[in-house]
Amino acid sequence: MEHTELVKPESLEDLIQTLHKIFESDRVNVEDVQSIMESYESKPHEWMKYAKFDQYRYTRNLVNEGNGKFNLMILCWGEGHGSSIHDHTDSHCFLKLLQGQLKETLFDWPDRRLQGGMTQKSQRVLLENQCAYINDSIGLHRVENVSHTETAVSLHLYSPPFQTCRTFDQRTGHHNTVRMTFWSQFGERTPYESTVSQENN
Amino acid sequence: MEGFEGASSSSESVLDLSRLNLNNNSLDSLSEKRRKDTKQLYLCYNRMTVLPESISLFSNLEFLDISNNALSVISEDITRLTKLKTLIAKNNRLNDSSLPKDFGSLQLEVLNLSGNRFEEMPSQCLQLLRLQSLSLGGNRLKSIPAEIESLASLELLYLGGNQISSIPAELANLPSLCYLVLCDNRIQSVPPQLNKLHSLRSLSLHNNLLTYLPREILSLVHLQELSLRGNPLVVRFIKDMTYDPPSLLELAGRTVKSKNLAYSHKDLPSHLVNYLDMASKCPNPKCAGVYFDSCVRHIKFVDFCGKYRLPLMHYLCSPECTSPCSSNPQSDADSDEDNSVPADRLQRVLLG
Repeated sequence: MEHTELVKPESLEDLIQTLHKIFESDRVNVEDVQSIMESYESKPHEWMKYAKFDQYRYTRNLVNEGNGKFNLMILCWGEGHGSSIHDHTDSHCFLKLLQGQLKETLFDWPDRRLQGGMTQKSQRVLLENQCAYINDSIGLHRVENVSHTETAVSLHLYSPPFQTCRTFDQRTGHHNTVRMTFWSQFGERTPYESTVSQENN
Repeated sequence: MEGFEGASSSSESVLDLSRLNLNNNSLDSLSEKRRKDTKQLYLCYNRMTVLPESISLFSNLEFLDISNNALSVISEDITRLTKLKTLIAKNNRLNDSSLPKDFGSLQLEVLNLSGNRFEEMPSQCLQLLRLQSLSLGGNRLKSIPAEIESLASLELLYLGGNQISSIPAELANLPSLCYLVLCDNRIQSVPPQLNKLHSLRSLSLHNNLLTYLPREILSLVHLQELSLRGNPLVVRFIKDMTYDPPSLLELAGRTVKSKNLAYSHKDLPSHLVNYLDMASKCPNPKCAGVYFDSCVRHIKFVDFCGKYRLPLMHYLCSPECTSPCSSNPQSDADSDEDNSVPADRLQRVLLG
């Protein structure tokens, strides 16, 4: 398989161009993508226009649609904001910290035979510029900004792109299918009809 | 730092002096014009231990960020900033005696004191009647004062990451409260009066000590975000085995109330009049009964706010009594398929 020459991206735009090249091929080299995302040094002025926060919960802000091969988005986490436990609908998921820190807790898929809740497998804190990777065969995860004083911003790449995923209730292992929406796209706020969050956990 | 003017942005009124290794005297060299023109001042990530006196010369200041310094005291000088609306002082060394006596006279709308060493909510904060947003996350608060209800304009209250063990019912008297964060505390129960928070849109209770929620929470019709992870919520309700039969006093009291017998201070000693006045009505509409101390905890599992089978609790006057929504008392304790919440209470699940 062709190995794309991996040069450290000088800017976010550079990173996006490199990702387009990498994803031209049909097979994804996970290590390459993780390495290139990690080597981009976060520069706030390059991504600030995508980083739109909501007071009440974390936001998803679409940056690039990757020629249909991937979705690149920026997630903004206020103090205490966290996600549900969720899967990744058979896609690759890369998560890079642009600002602040996020706690990632890993879970196994719930076993219907075992009564009661899901227990965590492991957890770690992702630091600025670190890039994590997960897919459904590795397991499920919950991502949280546990800080009460700092916000967090993360860059996510999903390949192939997906619009729905499953969220899991840790207490019971019960799951729901949820549709994912964007708070903004390409720097423009894209409001959605507002009702109950699908990710209450 | 002679003649140092600092970096100003395209807007002349914003002065960014963050991350410059400034100490307590660094503001002194700014020109009077610069000070009078500045409406937003960033002094975060410096090395100040005390807010310099010269801060009071920024007479038009509306926004001040002094986060991430080593401040242990905020001097009286700040109270001269009559136009100050936003004060951010995160990650300093502020404690219960750090705020000046007249701090409450400021016209603040936003106050962020997260990441400090407060053990009590400072009384001066409770005097800021224009306050819309108050953050005291990551401090050492042990309780929330009942006087919180005086902050009539409060919309956001962030108290995550403290040592709070209970919520005063008075918190419910904040008519504009939309966002309430109480995560990462030691809260064992939520007062049923919280259902009076009609504007509440988001409630964060994760990582506490809750085993159930009050059934009254169902009336929070605008609630869209509710976090409860990391609480020991009961999954199965074990029927209360230790139901203490009512005392003779209680039985007499129940009879007096349910038969509507008139009583007054002329007939009874005052402690009995007070006792009778404290009767609680049983929520079962078919039961006209009341209870005093002897009641049964009744838990139902209800889907609410996008969450699956939350244990919601209310009291009933006796084990034989039934809850308002169900007809079969025997099945209440183990209601597995129970979904007795009326359709208009169930929130539609979001696309988002």
